[in-house]
Amino acid sequence: MPKTWQESLALGLALVVAISVLFVFGYRAVRHARYLRSEDQPIHAWMSVPFVAHTHHVPKEILFAAIGVEPREGDRRPLRTIARQQNRPVAAVIRDLENAIVREHGKAP
Amino acid sequence: MRDELLGALSQYGSPALFVVAAVASVGLPLPVALLLIVTGSLIAQGVMDAGWAIGLACAGSVAGDLIGYAIGRWGGGRLLHRFSSLLGGEERLNRTQARVRRWGWAGVFFTRWLITPLGPWVNLASGVSLYPWGRFLLWDVLGECLSVVIYVTLGWVFSDSVMSLDSVLGELTWATVAFAAAVLLGWKLLSLFRRAT
Repeated sequence: MPKTWQESLALGLALVVAISVLFVFGYRAVRHARYLRSEDQPIHAWMSVPFVAHTHHVPKEILFAAIGVEPREGDRRPLRTIARQQNRPVAAVIRDLENAIVREHGKAP
Repeated sequence: MRDELLGALSQYGSPALFVVAAVASVGLPLPVALLLIVTGSLIAQGVMDAGWAIGLACAGSVAGDLIGYAIGRWGGGRLLHRFSSLLGGEERLNRTQARVRRWGWAGVFFTRWLITPLGPWVNLASGVSLYPWGRFLLWDVLGECLSVVIYVTLGWVFSDSVMSLDSVLGELTWATVAFAAAVLLGWKLLSLFRRAT
């Protein structure tokens, strides 16, 4: 009998932990879900200019112009590659894109 | 690492997806869900072909799963039997293996798309327990294709907010693992109480 009690206690505690973890991750999922349709999507170094144009609803020609790149069909280079080729930090390229998006939207990206 | 993989996907398309899906299925912690979501977004932008992307992602995932299964079957099995005394003896090991062979389809199918963090472990366990490879392949292909279609479709629908979607799905995956654990523990606790009364 004592063994059953010990086993029940261990299982009960594990169950409480599992339910707690379920609620924590469920809450976090709901919190993230609120940003799903937000326009404030972050720009990352792996993204290409057309990708950023799509996520921020801005014509890609405007973004290419903002970072001083001649628009070419099928140019899918990541921002990191463009920054390396322009000999400047990728953060500077991202900042230029954000500024162009701000100008285009008339609000912060 | 994540940025490099996403950059490769953006630049090289489906072949990069095939390689990453295969390596992730073997067990390396690569962000394959995020890659599939971004693939959906690239399809929505007209950059990637849906048929090639989904086909190569499924093929890569299944290839990786089969490698994991083969490692378990031809490497893990021998190791397990050598140390069977530490795992409760040969008889207990055989009983466990028989249980995996009986219920293995559910483990294989649901860890492809619902409880994905357990996928590589189930591949190894299926191989070790000598789960028939034909049946493993059937449930693996069904589960992986479902997984790829779900993630790519979500990426296509939410093509302008892929990073937020990845965060939501990441949290939901762990919530699902916790839910499955809670159901299992609750069931065990209930069985224990029934036995005691």
